[in-house]
This record gives sequence, structure tokens and C-alpha cells, in this order.
Amino acid sequence: MTDQEIWVYAEKHVGMIQPVTYQLITKAKEIANDKKVVVILFEATDKNLEEKIKEFGPNEIVVVKDDRLKDATDSEIASLMAELADRRKPNSILFGATVVGRSIAPRLQAKLNTGLTSDCLNLAFDDDLLIQTKPSYGDNIMCEIVCPKHRPQMASVRPNTFEAKKDLNQSVIVTKINDLFFKKAERIKIIEETPLLSKSDSIANADRVIALGRGAADEKAVRLAEELARKLGAKIGVTRPLTDHPKFSGDDQIGQSGNTIAPKLLVNLGVHGAVQYTTGIGSAELVVSIDKDPEAPIFNYSNYSYVGDSVSFLESFLKVIQ
Amino acid sequence: MSLKIVVCIKQVPVSNNLKIDPITKNLIRSGESGVMNPYDKNAIEAALRLKDEWGGEVILLSMGPADFEMTLRQGMAMGCDDAILLSSRKFGGADTLATGYVLAQAIKKLGKVDLVLLGRQSVDADTSQVGPIVSEFLGWPQITFVSELTGHAKKGMTATRLLENMQQKIEFQLPAVVTVRSEMNEPRYPTPRNIQQSYKKNIRIWDENSLSVDPNRIGLKGSPTVVRSVWAPIKEAKHTIYLKGTPDEAVRELLIQMRASNLL
Ligand SMILES: Cc1cc2nc3c(=O)[nH]c(=O)nc-3n(C[C@H](O)[C@H](O)[C@H](O)COP(=O)(O)OP(=O)(O)OC[C@H]3O[C@@H](n4cnc5c(N)ncnc54)[C@H](O)[C@@H]3O)c2cc1C
Ligand SMILES: Cc1cc2nc3c(=O)[nH]c(=O)nc-3n(C[C@H](O)[C@H](O)[C@H](O)COP(=O)(O)OP(=O)(O)OC[C@H]3O[C@@H](n4cnc5c(N)ncnc54)[C@H](O)[C@@H]3O)c2cc1C
Repeated sequence: MTDQEIWVYAEKHVGMIQPVTYQLITKAKEIANDKKVVVILFEATDKNLEEKIKEFGPNEIVVVKDDRLKDATDSEIASLMAELADRRKPNSILFGATVVGRSIAPRLQAKLNTGLTSDCLNLAFDDDLLIQTKPSYGDNIMCEIVCPKHRPQMASVRPNTFEAKKDLNQSVIVTKINDLFFKKAERIKIIEETPLLSKSDSIANADRVIALGRGAADEKAVRLAEELARKLGAKIGVTRPLTDHPKFSGDDQIGQSGNTIAPKLLVNLGVHGAVQYTTGIGSAELVVSIDKDPEAPIFNYSNYSYVGDSVSFLESFLKVIQ
Repeated sequence: MSLKIVVCIKQVPVSNNLKIDPITKNLIRSGESGVMNPYDKNAIEAALRLKDEWGGEVILLSMGPADFEMTLRQGMAMGCDDAILLSSRKFGGADTLATGYVLAQAIKKLGKVDLVLLGRQSVDADTSQVGPIVSEFLGWPQITFVSELTGHAKKGMTATRLLENMQQKIEFQLPAVVTVRSEMNEPRYPTPRNIQQSYKKNIRIWDENSLSVDPNRIGLKGSPTVVRSVWAPIKEAKHTIYLKGTPDEAVRELLIQMRASNLL
């Protein structure tokens, strides 16, 4: 079959397409073979986010414009997607494994009576069958999941797992659809959506991250780290125990139950390297770790390692880059 | 105003450090029995606070093998009123779709439920899919990943939902389904009195005959997803270079490398 479609749900917040959407487009194109990559975009009438999406070169963008979509609920989006899916019968539908993706996708799954694999780390096609690789048990186990008898095949994919690449050579068809039935959700209304203050610049998207663990948790270490972060233009992230520190919260946490990060530079200070932590740093490029324990597993995930005290290292760093 | 609240809870392995049998390729589950999924404790706490405020009852619902009774008892020891175990060989092998279907059918059977609370996700399979699936089958609003729940049970409630770097304020009316983040509250400890009481309470066991269920939508049969294989990821160690000497010397060496990588 040649006319099969892989759909990518375009997630947006405050008028911006989320990076995971672009990452999914690029990955879908890589594995598509002769299938078409189709982005599904819901937006208010005064928006033209399809222009941004075009740069990543899907085959088609299906746009539904409606002012009620400004603050649509999960179930409203899921109903619209279900109606579209009934018409076009896609082979598969991909979502970012974000809070919103992980909420809309299963609601849609239940409507379409099909399978959904969450938080995938890899996708591939074996003919028409989508092979989905996902972690479980806190990333200690990987499993390969398929959905052999139901269509569409649905998956949510962990952000920052794949790289987004622009492709300006692809000619992109934009299809506007305005005859879907908008099933208004009852008894629920999104009153406002605001950036989280502490996370207005999330570590998940930061280019440079300084990560603090329990070996860099005292007042002095935190103060020096903040100073170094300012100098390097880095964000501070923490291991889970430090989320109890008054300065930090779960939003700053790196790892399995926190953020997956993909910075160009990551400096770990007093971070032991538990698997629940290292799960979140697999895509970091240059990793430097300082720990006083020569056996700390974090060194196995590091390009450069220094066995020593985190505060002394911070002091030297600040002094030397003066 | 008296609320009928259902909390769905799941029992998960004590530790996530599972091993794979090198020959059968099956998961070796440790002998230790399970614990309650941590987020489900937050869901129970949220339910108990609402009950304290508005009156009513909190009913625990869990689908799984007989030994899930242990976590149901734990939940009752926190102060819940009633517990139902959905247990049958026919329910076995369920993926999230079949799990959500059976839970929804049980909630329908209970009748007149005002609020269903679940954890934001389990810490073993980790999908966070069951809450939205239950909501869809009930046809109710879903408010997922909630960190704060306030308002009036009758007139309308307000939830704060945390996204990655956004937050939403959502107003909704009951009946509804809410999935709970750990930021919401600090779960209470069971009191000795409640522990004692919990052993006097009866746990009801429902199977497929107790519910109105389509046999093709439960258990393995009702599960579109198939786990084809399971393996332990090989963690490739990065080739690490040790920075030597005093901290000053180490930093200087690092800076040379950072310049070479255009990071300075
Ligand atoms: C279900 C589950 C989910 C989890 N999710 C996460 C998650 O998302 N993120 C996460 O981080 N954790 C998570 N954890 C916790 C994780 O298992 C570890 O407990 C945690 O990462 C340890 O944090 P740490 O490295 O800061 O502390 P520790 O393990 O205490 O390590 C501190 C390190 O600092 C070093 N040190 C001490 N003093 C100094 C000094 N002066 N100078 C230099 N080094 C020093 C020590 O040698 C040690 O290596 C999770 C656990 C579970 C069970
Ligand atoms: C290794 C592995 C991988 C899996 N991957 C997938 C997959 O990708 N897709 C899929 O559809 N299924 C998958 N499954 C099956 C899935 O684990 C079961 O269907 C499970 O019962 C529910 O999924 P969950 O644990 O992810 O729940 P989640 O949706 O993460 O749980 C959210 C909340 O739902 C409630 N809840 C969950 N399970 C129950 C229960 N049995 N009884 C009462 N309340 C409950 C709890 O409140 C929980 O906090 C997988 C199973 C395994 C062992």
C-alpha cells in the first residue's frame, strides 16, 4: 500500500509549536518508506503555525482552524482527531509523551478502540507494523510492543529522543478542514494557561545545565553553582533528593520522574549517577562530572571526570574563567 | 452534600531493579510482594480530604491478582471506607485499554459516583493511560496531572494542572476523573486504629460475572497491544577521561576541551 499515513499531532503552547513535534516529523520521515507523514494541527483562526511546521518538511499538514481551539480540552481534541481518523484511516498516530500528549492520546485510543504505547524511545516499521520500543520499570527494562490487529497504531514518544532536522526541499500540501463536528466538552473549561514561573525556561530545552546532587547541596555549593551558571549561561538542574531544598522543586529535577535533558554541556556536581538519574541525561553531549567517590557510577556516563570536592571545583572554575 | 469517591489503585513491585532470565527472557519478579503505586497514595489522600470536607465515602478499586488485597488493606488503613478487588483469570494480561474498560464498568456498577481519582501514572509500566481511558468510557471530563484541587464539590471545582513548563487552571463540575501528582499533598500514615479497623472490613471481589462486560474487551483478548520482547538495556559506558591534579589544574584542562568543542 502506498497511500498510508503516519500522523503527528502538533502540540502547541502559547502560540508555539513544541520542539517534540518537529522531532517526531523528522523521525517519521526517516522511517516512513513510502508512507506519507501528515501533521495534524488545531489552531485559532488568527494563527498560521503551519508556516513553521512546513520548514520540517512533512508531506502534508492538515489544519483545523476554529477559535474554540484556543483553549480546547483533551476530550475535545480527542473527538476531533477521532473524526479525522475515521475519515482518513491513518496507519499510525504519534504524540509527544508530554503531559498533554499523554492525556489526549489515551482518550483517543479509547475512542478508536486500538492500542497505544507510551513514552517510546524508538520506532521502526516492519512493513506496516510499527515496532515500538519503550522503557518500563524505571527504565531498567526495555520492551518491544506492537499492535498487530488494530489500526491506527498509536504511540507517544519521549521528548528529546530524536533530533529535529529542517527539510526545506519537501513540497508540503496544506489541507484546511472546516467541516468537523466540534463536540464541546461539558462541565470543564480551561480558564487560563500560564508559563510556570520557576520553569519559564525549562532545563529540558537548555543548552547548558549544571546539575547538583546531594554532594553539592549545601548553601555554599548552591551559591557558587548559581554564579557559575550565570557566567556560562547555564540552567541549574537537580537530582531528586534536592527537590526538597527550598530553592528547587520537581520542575528542576532531572531523570526518570523528572526532566529528560539534552544540553550541549552538562556538569554534574556531587551526583552519584543512579539509573533513575542517568536515564534523563542520555542525550547530553559533553558530560563532565565531579564526585569525591572514585567509584561513583556517574563517571561511566561522563566524557570528563574529576574525583574531588564539588565546592573546591566550583571555586576553581569561577577563578579560572575570570 | 455527600460525595461518593472512587480511588483506583495499583500494586507495583517493591523495586524496579528487575532481572531478566537469560534463558526464558522472562522478567524475574523478586519474591518480595508489592507496594502501593506511590501516586495512588496521593490520590487516596486527596479523596480523604474531600471526604473530611464534604462528607461521604471513599471506595478503593483495584484490578489484579488476589495478593493485591494487601495494598487495598493499606488503603483502608489510611481511612478509606470500602474496597473492591477486580480479580479473575479472565482479566489477566490486560493492557491499558482492557484495564480502563473493566475499571469503568465497575464504576458504572457502583453507580452515582461523583469523582474518580487515580495516580498520574504507575511506576512500573509507567504509561499514564488508564485515567484518560476510564474518563472516555464514562464520558466524563478528565483533568490529568493535577497538583492542586480546590473549590466547592457542588458548585464547581478548580484544578491546577502542571504541564512541562506551563500550568493550567481548569474549572470543572462533578462527576469527573482526576489524576493526581505527588505535588498535590503529603499522604497520611495509617493510624493504629484504622489499621485495626481495616482488618474488620470485608474486601469485595468482583469477577467478569459480577460486571456487565463484553468478554472480547477484557484481559488478553481485549488488549490490542502485544509485548513482543523484553530485555535489559546494555548501558554503554562513555569512555571517560579523568581530569588530574588540583581543582585548578583540572579546570584548566577542562576549559581547553570546552574551547575545542566551541562551548566557550
Ligand atoms: C521510582 C523512582 C524514581 C526516581 N526518579 C528519580 C529522578 O527522576 N531523578 C533523580 O535524580 N533521582 C530519582 N530517583 C532517586 C535515585 O534513585 C537516587 O536516589 C538519586 O538520584 C540520588 O541523588 P544524588 O545522586 O543527589 O544523591 P546520592 O546518591 O546521595 O549521591 C551523592 C553523591 O555525591 C557525592 N558527594 C558527597 N559529598 C561530596 C562532595 N563534597 N564533593 C563531591 N561529591 C560529593 C557522593 O560521593 C555521591 O556520589 C528515583 C527513585 C525511584 C525509586
Ligand atoms: C513492561 C510492560 C509494558 C507495558 N506497556 C504498555 C503499553 O505501552 N501500553 C499499554 O496499553 N499497556 C502496557 N502494559 C500493560 C499495562 O501495564 C497494564 O494494562 C496496567 O494494568 C495499567 O497500565 P499502567 O500500569 O501503565 O497504568 P497507568 O495508566 O500508568 O496508571 C495510572 C493510574 O491508573 C490506576 N491504575 C492502573 N492500573 C490499575 C489497576 N490494575 N487497578 C486499579 N487502578 C489502576 C492507578 O491509579 C494508577 O496510578 C505494559 C505492561 C508491562 C508489564
